[in-house]
Amino acid sequence: MTSTPEASLRRHTKAGMFMHWFNAACWLFLLCTGLGLIDNPELRPFGPGYPAALRGLFGGGGNLLLAHWLAALLWLAVWAGFIVFYLTRHVIPFLRQVAAIQVRRDLEWMLKKQIQMMLGYRLMAVLVKPLGWDGSLPEQEYYNAGQKLAAQGIIAGALVLVATGLLMLASKYLLGPGWASLVQWSITIHYLAALFTTVLLLVHVYMAAISREERPAFISMFTGKVPADYAKHHHKLWYDQAAGGDA
Amino acid sequence: MAVKLGMVIDAASCIDCKGCQAACKVANQVPDGHWRNWIKRGDEEKAALDRQGLRFQPGNCMQCDKPTCVAACPTGATYKEAKDGVVRIDRELCIGCGQCLAACPYQARYRHPQLRVADKCDFCAERRAAGLQPACVDTCPTKARVFGDLNDPDSPAGRLLRGKASVQVVNQQSNTDPNLYYLGDPGPADWPVQAKMPTPWQFWKSLGGPALEALVGLTGLGVIAMYGRQLILGDHDQPPEHASGHPEGGDHDQHA
Amino acid sequence: MASKQFMVSRRGFLKLGVGAAATATAGGLLKARPAGAQGGLKPGFESKFTVCDMCFNKCSAIARVGDGVVRKLDPNPKFLKSRGMLCAKGNAGLHQLYDPNRLKYPLLRVGERGQGQFRRISWSEALDLAAAKMGAIAKEYTRCGMLFMAGADMQSTFVHRFAEAFGSYNVISHESNCLLSNNRAFLDTFGEVPIPDVLNSKYILMAGANRFESLVTPDSIDLMTTLREHGCKLVVLDPRYTKTAALANEYHAIRPGTDLALMLALMHVLINEGLYDKQFVAEKTYGLEQLRTHVQSYSPEWAAGQTDIPAEAIRRMARELAAAAPAAMVYPGRRSSDYANSTQIRRGFAMVNALLGNWDRPGGLTAARVVGLKGGIPLEAPFYEDNPPERVDSGQARLMFEEEGSFKLTRDAALKGEPYPIKGFFAYHVNPMQTGANRRKTIAMLNQMDFVMVMDVAMTDTAWMADLVLPSQTYLERLDPASAQQGSSACACVVQRDPVAPAMFEAQPVFFVVQELAKRLELGEHFDFTVEEFRAAQLADLPDAPQALAEDGVYYNPSRLYGVYEGKIYKTKSHKIELFNQRYAEAGLDPMPVYTAPAQPPAGQFRLVVGRNALITQSSSTSNALLLQMQPDNDLWIHPDSAARLGVKAGQRVAVTSPAGQQVLTARVTHETRPDTVYMHTGFGVMSRELAAYGRGGCIAAVLVDAVDEISGNMAMHETFVQVAAA
Repeated sequence: MTSTPEASLRRHTKAGMFMHWFNAACWLFLLCTGLGLIDNPELRPFGPGYPAALRGLFGGGGNLLLAHWLAALLWLAVWAGFIVFYLTRHVIPFLRQVAAIQVRRDLEWMLKKQIQMMLGYRLMAVLVKPLGWDGSLPEQEYYNAGQKLAAQGIIAGALVLVATGLLMLASKYLLGPGWASLVQWSITIHYLAALFTTVLLLVHVYMAAISREERPAFISMFTGKVPADYAKHHHKLWYDQAAGGDA
Repeated sequence: MAVKLGMVIDAASCIDCKGCQAACKVANQVPDGHWRNWIKRGDEEKAALDRQGLRFQPGNCMQCDKPTCVAACPTGATYKEAKDGVVRIDRELCIGCGQCLAACPYQARYRHPQLRVADKCDFCAERRAAGLQPACVDTCPTKARVFGDLNDPDSPAGRLLRGKASVQVVNQQSNTDPNLYYLGDPGPADWPVQAKMPTPWQFWKSLGGPALEALVGLTGLGVIAMYGRQLILGDHDQPPEHASGHPEGGDHDQHA
Repeated sequence: MASKQFMVSRRGFLKLGVGAAATATAGGLLKARPAGAQGGLKPGFESKFTVCDMCFNKCSAIARVGDGVVRKLDPNPKFLKSRGMLCAKGNAGLHQLYDPNRLKYPLLRVGERGQGQFRRISWSEALDLAAAKMGAIAKEYTRCGMLFMAGADMQSTFVHRFAEAFGSYNVISHESNCLLSNNRAFLDTFGEVPIPDVLNSKYILMAGANRFESLVTPDSIDLMTTLREHGCKLVVLDPRYTKTAALANEYHAIRPGTDLALMLALMHVLINEGLYDKQFVAEKTYGLEQLRTHVQSYSPEWAAGQTDIPAEAIRRMARELAAAAPAAMVYPGRRSSDYANSTQIRRGFAMVNALLGNWDRPGGLTAARVVGLKGGIPLEAPFYEDNPPERVDSGQARLMFEEEGSFKLTRDAALKGEPYPIKGFFAYHVNPMQTGANRRKTIAMLNQMDFVMVMDVAMTDTAWMADLVLPSQTYLERLDPASAQQGSSACACVVQRDPVAPAMFEAQPVFFVVQELAKRLELGEHFDFTVEEFRAAQLADLPDAPQALAEDGVYYNPSRLYGVYEGKIYKTKSHKIELFNQRYAEAGLDPMPVYTAPAQPPAGQFRLVVGRNALITQSSSTSNALLLQMQPDNDLWIHPDSAARLGVKAGQRVAVTSPAGQQVLTARVTHETRPDTVYMHTGFGVMSRELAAYGRGGCIAAVLVDAVDEISGNMAMHETFVQVAAA
């Protein structure tokens, strides 16, 4: 059951990787254009310069809005296609993984991971070891507890963004004045949901791309593979299942 | 001084003929049942009884210096034109959410039923671009409406504004500093309502926005802090067991 | 994005209108209103002069045209008579041009008269039929068996010309339902119908006229100017609290029909207190001594009992008028189709002005001036031996205007068939079904006709009753003759009309119709010219006019405004301004107006008075989508005390009943009318289902009783008493 350091496991399919990077590009574009669409002295988060510059770049606020909408619709369409074509292969397994929360285990993981990250290994050796914790974390499946929570939050945020975004789109092309109150709430909620998902994505980006420990996971988003060693230590339960199946 | 377009109106000259309203409807393709301008009137019954006369008050969007409609618009689709002070609507950017409608103390705005955008008087921007006066001003039989640069003492409106005592018609709770001035008694003055900023907008401004912006900021700071620590500590803070590092997992001890 | 779709739908409408007209079926083409058939001034638009036809004022205007579509109508700043304005109706002219309900093709009645069932026919079929019918009527009933009626339109002259060539004397205008009593009275006092110099007046007594609501250029605008800038005092007498009353310095809710009592009392004060212009009266008037005697019994105290205006107010008015004279006036007014003695009432107006010397001087009444426009191409009308000797309505009113006729008396004659039958009717741009009191009689008159042909822009109620309906071009599509305009201190001028938009559907000008009919009736030689040639003949004496019209849209021929009568005689029998009218005396009429108190409404009834506002021109605004947004219907103005007595509440539907008929409309309970008077706006309660106003309000013609002014033959509409009851 031990792995050789050179052995690797397939963690992502090509479609999965494409969706990841496509998603990342869309989120970034939508975030940037979306923030540029807010131009109100009492609301805009970055002052007047940013929206003005972005509108200048796109040739007017109308074009910026159009670009935001077209990107959002493209994102939605590709997702819709992906969901339809990969429903059983990807989507349902993914959702299962994301939903697979074991409260006690995952809570423990979250707590211990926090402490580990905050203190670092050297301090842990000094501070925690004497208390009886050897520094190990509960074994995790395909996703660890943090990944699962972040994914759930981002999915929820995305659904809210889609709903409110569509309402605003409909306001311009479809809806009568009776929908005004819903549309007005949509604007506020869309912004708040975008900020909420941005928080999660910030953590995601740090953990995946900046944090040295997760470097193999970051690389795997290009290669599709993780070292068996990494899998064994980070996603033991998945590793056992995947490596076992392979063997 | 910057150009500030406005109107100086002699309400006493208005005969309530509705020429300005008809001209505006045609010039701006204002849809059925909606109006960009108006003539307010006093209490006809009271006037008929006390025989003290009646005053008619022509008006339209007052192109305020402190426009609450602009404040209510999240995207700047409604904005105050820097070059002449006219409050304009970018029809491409506006999604017709209607937040500006209730924010106007003069109820000068409506939602265009076909275009689904906010609409209101812009002093006939198309006509001005063609060198014509706003339609209501051009057509007014008694020339009760006088238009021009209020900052220019030689413009028709500026001259009038300086020559005679004039008043603004405002709601005391929401004085938006309007740029329509009335010579002498403007007639009915109690009709403007209090500007109502929409609840979602208020929630964004006072609670939701700051809270989540703070959260994003803190998270960002956390990420930066972690990254900073990573930079400072470099590869030194590795799991104590071996440098290639797999700090997690139950098999931790096996390597020891 | 959305705005582009919007544009497409409008273009689609216009394409349908102009291009696909030939293949479309009548009535079914334009169900929806063109969303934006107007407005939208894009760079590169053209500006073309036109002359407004939304009322009788004929204001010069500028059409802003882009892509062949009229986008906006603006005032012509060089047109002094309108003082460079365009009213709501003028602005709404576009909605007449692009009215989806407008008449598009010749229509032949297929059902019963008044049922509104028509079949589209070709122009040649229509013209052949009309010529055959008119020929048959001429043969059977003489040529005078055809009745012609044409409204205040710049092509009406061609209808009159056709009638004359065809050989019928029976030509009537709209005016005998409107202003003839006033014209008669002033003509019989001053020898002409004067133009009030409102702009320079310092004191204006306005009785019945409602200049701030029913606009007359330049008077309506000048009135405000002189009030605001010249310190003029305006005193309004009206049973209704009109907008003019609301803006006046002084207002009295005069009892309807008693204006003459007031005028006689004013004259009483002016003469007895020696306030009249002694030199002027001595030099220029005839009959002061008779008048002095005549007015002795008409004291202010007596008049107060008649008019409900306090005696001291009457006395004060007389003194204030005298103090301001000659820059003062009793405003002549326009529509005077009120009472059986309206000519005498209006004589009272004229005589007060004469006593004060408010004549031919600044701020008073001024002489009409001549701009020098000729009559066009002369007509040598054929003589038809078998014709009767006189008009069908002659010999009843004592001093009827022969060239205007009397709608009321003509209709009575046609109904009786005496002195001879009237069996054919050609109406152009006139709508007596709405404007002629007692609609029931108008229907009866039309029903006894062998042939009724109506040409108009919209399916008016009169067209609704026709056998043959012809679609007229709107004024924006037409080339029209030149027209001379009068305008007090605004100079006399000439305007003309050129098309500013391509003609839509199969609409034609009435010139085309009469020319084609003339060809078919062997009268072609009388119409062997074009409108351009006719216009050139009109302008023959004005060599500078064509260039001025092209550059400014108006041609002025400045002439003396005041002192026109210096050293000249007046066109009256005495060659002076007649306080005592000798012709009246000879004709057995009162040479000076004698007051008889108007009958009072029987208990529980009201006098019905009618009028219009700045959004309504008689009935031609009833198909205008824009004007109807501002004036969606009419209601019955009734005083709160009267309403309470009847148990009628504001907004409730009420039946208004007179001997002429009944209409049901909404009650407007208001102090703006007297307790003994109810009021209705004109122009609603239409029968024609093809009009946008169908189903709205009540029709004045259906409840007004058709009394007649015994002197002028003008309709007298305010002699109507009505019952009002909750419906």
